[in-house]
Amino acid sequence: MALVIENLSKTYSNGVQALRDVNLTIPTGMFGLLGPNGAGKSSLMRTIATLQEANSGSIRLDELDVLREKDGVRRILGYLPQEFGVYPKVTAEDLLDHFAVLKGLADSKERKATVAALLHKTNLYEVRKKNLGGYSGGMKQRFGIAQALLGNPRLIIVDEPTAGLDPAERNRFHNLLSEIGENIIVILSTHIVSDVSDLCRNMAIINKGQVLLTGDPLVVMNELQGQVWRRAIAKEQLPALQQEQQVISSRLYAGQTIVHVVSDGSPGVEYESVTPSLEDVYFARIAEAERGMAVVA
Amino acid sequence: MFLQIFKFELWYRLRRPATYIYFGILLLLALLLMLTSGGFFKGLSVSVGSKVFVNSPFSLNGYTTVLTLIPGVLLISAMFGPAILRDFETRMHPLLFTTPISRLGYLGGRFTGTLVITMLVLSGIAVGLFIGTLIPGMPAERIGPQRLMGYLNPYLTLVLPNVVLMGAIFFALGTLTRKALATYVGSIVFLVLYFVAQGQLSDLDNQTIGSLLDPMGSGASRQLTKYWTTAEKNTQLVPLTGLLLGNRLVWLGVGLALLGFCFWRFRFTQSAAEGPVRRRAERPGLDVVPTTASVVLPRVHQQFGTSQYLRQWARLTKLEFLDIIRSPYFIAIVVAGLAFLLVAALQIGKIFDTRTFPVTAQVAIILSGSFSLFSLAIITFYAGELVWRERDAHLNQIYDALPLPNWVPLASKLAALLLVPVVLQVIVLVCGLLTQIFSGYYQFELGLYIKYLFGLRLLDYWLLVVLAIAVHVLVNHKYLGHFVMLLYYMFTLFASQIGLEHNLAIYGSDPGVQYSALNKFGHFIGPFLWFKLYWAGLALVLAVGANLLWVRGTETSANVRQKLAASRFTGPARLAMGAGLLTFLVVGGFIYYNTNVLNRYQGSKTQEKQTVEFERKYSRLGRRPQPRITAVEVQADLFPSRQEVRLRGQYWLRNKTGQPIDSVQLNLPQEARIRLLTLGAAGAAPARTVLSDSLLGFYVQRLPQPLAPGDSLPLRFDLYYAAPGFENVTNRTSVVYNGTFINSQLLPNIGYNPNAEISDEETRKDYNLPPKPRMASLTDTAARRNTYISHDSDWVRFAATVSTEPDQLALAPGYLKKEWAENGRRYFRYEMDAPILNFYSFQSARYAVRKAKWNDIDIAIYYQPGHEYNLDRMVRGVQDGLTYFTKNFGPYQHRQVRIVEFPGYQTFAQSFPNTIPYSENIGFIAKIDSADPEDVDYPYYVTAHEVAHQWWAHQVIGANVQGSTMMSETLSQYAALMVMKQLYGEARMRKFLKHEMDRYLTGRATEQSKEQPLYKVENQQYIHYRKGSVAMYALQDYVGEDKVNQALAAYIKEVKFQQPPYTTSPDLLRHLRQVTPDSLQYLVTDMFERITLYENRVDSVSYKKLPGGKYRVTLNLNSKKFYADSLGNERPAPMNDWIDIAVLIERKVNGKWRDEPLYRRKTRLKAGNNKLEIIVAEKPVKAGIDPFNELIDRDPDDNVKNLPRS
Repeated sequence: MALVIENLSKTYSNGVQALRDVNLTIPTGMFGLLGPNGAGKSSLMRTIATLQEANSGSIRLDELDVLREKDGVRRILGYLPQEFGVYPKVTAEDLLDHFAVLKGLADSKERKATVAALLHKTNLYEVRKKNLGGYSGGMKQRFGIAQALLGNPRLIIVDEPTAGLDPAERNRFHNLLSEIGENIIVILSTHIVSDVSDLCRNMAIINKGQVLLTGDPLVVMNELQGQVWRRAIAKEQLPALQQEQQVISSRLYAGQTIVHVVSDGSPGVEYESVTPSLEDVYFARIAEAERGMAVVA
Repeated sequence: MFLQIFKFELWYRLRRPATYIYFGILLLLALLLMLTSGGFFKGLSVSVGSKVFVNSPFSLNGYTTVLTLIPGVLLISAMFGPAILRDFETRMHPLLFTTPISRLGYLGGRFTGTLVITMLVLSGIAVGLFIGTLIPGMPAERIGPQRLMGYLNPYLTLVLPNVVLMGAIFFALGTLTRKALATYVGSIVFLVLYFVAQGQLSDLDNQTIGSLLDPMGSGASRQLTKYWTTAEKNTQLVPLTGLLLGNRLVWLGVGLALLGFCFWRFRFTQSAAEGPVRRRAERPGLDVVPTTASVVLPRVHQQFGTSQYLRQWARLTKLEFLDIIRSPYFIAIVVAGLAFLLVAALQIGKIFDTRTFPVTAQVAIILSGSFSLFSLAIITFYAGELVWRERDAHLNQIYDALPLPNWVPLASKLAALLLVPVVLQVIVLVCGLLTQIFSGYYQFELGLYIKYLFGLRLLDYWLLVVLAIAVHVLVNHKYLGHFVMLLYYMFTLFASQIGLEHNLAIYGSDPGVQYSALNKFGHFIGPFLWFKLYWAGLALVLAVGANLLWVRGTETSANVRQKLAASRFTGPARLAMGAGLLTFLVVGGFIYYNTNVLNRYQGSKTQEKQTVEFERKYSRLGRRPQPRITAVEVQADLFPSRQEVRLRGQYWLRNKTGQPIDSVQLNLPQEARIRLLTLGAAGAAPARTVLSDSLLGFYVQRLPQPLAPGDSLPLRFDLYYAAPGFENVTNRTSVVYNGTFINSQLLPNIGYNPNAEISDEETRKDYNLPPKPRMASLTDTAARRNTYISHDSDWVRFAATVSTEPDQLALAPGYLKKEWAENGRRYFRYEMDAPILNFYSFQSARYAVRKAKWNDIDIAIYYQPGHEYNLDRMVRGVQDGLTYFTKNFGPYQHRQVRIVEFPGYQTFAQSFPNTIPYSENIGFIAKIDSADPEDVDYPYYVTAHEVAHQWWAHQVIGANVQGSTMMSETLSQYAALMVMKQLYGEARMRKFLKHEMDRYLTGRATEQSKEQPLYKVENQQYIHYRKGSVAMYALQDYVGEDKVNQALAAYIKEVKFQQPPYTTSPDLLRHLRQVTPDSLQYLVTDMFERITLYENRVDSVSYKKLPGGKYRVTLNLNSKKFYADSLGNERPAPMNDWIDIAVLIERKVNGKWRDEPLYRRKTRLKAGNNKLEIIVAEKPVKAGIDPFNELIDRDPDDNVKNLPRS
């Protein structure tokens, strides 16, 4: 089973071009869609989740034409949108049961069992009788994944699920996601690199509506082996350095500015080589794309 | 700090487009209101004349008040609600609250800033009104001199305090609840409560309290101006005095108190509930939850298919429905509605503040009517909430990706909202039953409740539900959606004013349904249901359309929605929409065939034009001599179940003029189908028709030989009134299944009838018709040749045969000579033994009969079984009337009096010779507590009045000139008052006379043309009934009842059954003056020949105990008299008048305290201050001038003062 996206483009009525000729093949297992805010991740997710039309291109899930056979997609879909609310005066158990009915779980015994299992799985069983209005952000997010898992979906889309969660909650959430079966497609969109490196066997980097890179995180990291260099500088030096070198990232560490630079050979003695992380790949690709665009422009 | 925040608020609001949009909306609405009121659109609708300028201070005051209410209240809530709330909504508040601003500065600055801007926004009303007066095309005669204060005054006295009050309400609601919904619901509740309250405070005794309680002050200003005449309306500013001032102070105080409360409760806290005392609910423990071992999810089976979809639909419907009826806003609106049902229940059927029995029809209609505004508000509001429910909760993305078919969400919302009015109707039903139980009335007609509430009214609500949902889906913007619904409501209210009257064009409308105990829902139901079916077709189209355009997914642009709609437009949708469209078109066509092909459809404008055409074409024939009817022989065949009637028979026409007549003009109702209409005896040479205008119902026949003076000839006729199909508005209420009531107007008239011409001055001008007095002057000798009810006859011989369906009784004036059955029908033969006016009726229904006697005279009441409540009172009214009238006026000309009930499609009783048709609404179900001095026994009074007409109309009939109704209506009113006084005593008359005075004074305030003194009354009801009662009652008190009766007896003797020229009011006055002493002649002049108003008041009173146990009361009085002209311009009149001075004591009569005079004497008073001293024997309680309001005085409350308890 694989989700094949071909030449997908989308321009909103206000003229914003959200997707440009996107081509992706998403196999079973966890697939990470990485990109900065506003890259077009959510547009892509929503299009797959039948919430939005495309201007051109196609999405196929095996025999299923996702753009046309929406009902077919919805029957196998589990979707956790980037932002969602709840009815504050309803309990988790009731709302989950409600969604279960709407997902076609007709048998009430079966439904009850699934709801209980999902609440256990998401660690919400103890608080199942509490109103959702009292839930914390992490609990709400776990509830979100619980509803997405209803009805044994074969395609799960989770859009920025960890944004705004504290590390413990994020960890808990990762564990949850990792338990979802290997033989279904899970698309995880995020702007947090470690979400992908922790969980995904396949990934794509997307920026400004374009796919910049696809592949296995380990493989893409390997490709950058020996090209990433690190150096500590004073903050004032940064602008000058950016002129000289391909600076892909800079961050503060213990009062100093640590910069990462991409270079085929050592850019200088002040630099030390580092093993590329996925983050380096991400920043390198985005920086590259930005430069490319600047040149074209 | 305050100043900065205030300035920032101004700056911020002045940059918001909403400020200008609101201003623009008000300006446009004001402009439109001005144009409509001024008659700019009269080309489209029927014009109504008035002499009050549209830019008079009074009119401006009214327009400004109305627009401040709608849409004013909504705008005010939109301005003040967010004044603080916006900081929470934009999540700005943590930033703001951590700055060193003061509470007073923050709240005060925001409030005053908003106040200033809101006043600016509301000034759009004045600007719009002003521009309206300048638009070319506005009739110049409706616009008076421009006065700046006219525009400003309402802002100072009404708008500003109202904005402070409402602003405070919405400001506090928004600030303290931190919820936009609260301010929004607040404004709806406020409006609905306000409107319902307006309708409830009509009891004469409650008006003071009512006008104080009205938060907008319009009740108080109405109270202040309700007696204002045209002249006063045109010149005076509504002053800020008395009740209005009190009202303003009360409510300004309430507003400020609310602000104070808001200030006191407000805290700079993160969330609304956080207070110094209250602790927040704890969050369920979160970090105690460990990461668990993996749980294996069970395999589940998903079902997709129609049965599962239906289950999902049912579940969603239940959920949405419960969500609505459990929501606090729903409960709040319903509770408010219940409060008003309670008030409405107390007012049921009040006439003269006297209640009726709570019969089911009245209870159901009144309660569901009072509740309907609440129902509309709930439906409109929740349509928006339902359509936006998922999106408001940010759950829409999850919902939209669920494997539900497209129709389920919309269909469940629709079903849920359809259930809501069912609940509301159940509430009305329960309230109705409770009302009846608490009144001790146990004849519940459950079937009627169900039919009315669930069979009729519910259909309207359902159509509205579909429309509201469809609008919200289509508009896809919650507030705009509500606005569109508001526009729809306004459209339905004003459609007829822009000439749109066809019910096929106004969503949800129908030809009307009226209930009658006699006829039940009768013939109204069929057409009603056809129209509802027609609209149901459209509703189905709307529902399918809404489903196609239902927003699913995150894209809402028009072309995406269109594309999706096209892809959703598949088999079932096509089928449903096709079925809806087909129903709509086919039923629409069928309705059109009924209303416009089978029946003649005329808008009221068309009718007006026809009347004009009739006058233009035929008024020139009006002066040709015509013969007069001298005998009528008619057979009326009534077909109640077909609603048809055949009228055939023969007139004898006699040439009473001095010259030969060569042709005769015949005038018939347009709807008459003429089977025979021939002058001359059968077999003789027929007359030749020389003019035949069936459209206007006018025919002229030339006689083979002219009719010589004094000669007679017959007119034979056979007319059929068919009732094909149904009409756009169900007007055919005369021949009905049970309770037929038709009169002689359906029979041919001879000659051109000038009374049918348009009389409204303005309208005549619009059509370039020559000006015409409303009634001919007293000196018009030609007009005096006719009575005011007939232009083609004097006294006639009358006989009639009436046939009807076998289970009904049929009646006509006269004595029953024969009754028989033939061809499955029932026949009755009535003959009159003495000449009567050419004015008779035919009635038929399944009557029960109550019989009684007075001397040799048979009394019979034909009534609807179940309406026995007041038969005894009516019989007594007849008996007492006959006793009093024969004794004081003269003999009764008939041997029988019959009262015949007819359905309440009209509310009156009318006296025909020896027969009195009597509406079911005017006494049959009155609930009179004889012991309660406040109750008016109006069945008794109405009966006495109608019996009196057998003298005052059927013996003495005035000429067709001014003042003629004084001899029939005023004298019948007087006669009834005297009979009532005899039975109930003088004290019980006061309540009735108070009503009569009030109705006279309000009547003259709404006079469209000219007020006349009584002796020149131009059929103005507020004069001949209301002022007539007051004047005649005072006259008999001043001159003596015996003297007045003596004059009337002499008058009746002089003029009864007279031939032309007929008597006029000066004849009557001559007789009255003969019995009036010289010292009181002025009174006759003032009351009958002039428009006279007094301003009597007592300035101070005191008393001293004298040795010997007596008391000396000192009164300082002020008295003034004015004469008014026909527009109400007043000039002070010199006076040396006799006025009652009284000292009162309270005595307990029948367990109730009542004022009784210790001293009462007519005393001569001069204009201005008068000081009097009176010695009385007991300790006095009150004292004053004209304490029982015999003289016309607009402010009767200051006539009597309590004495200090020294």
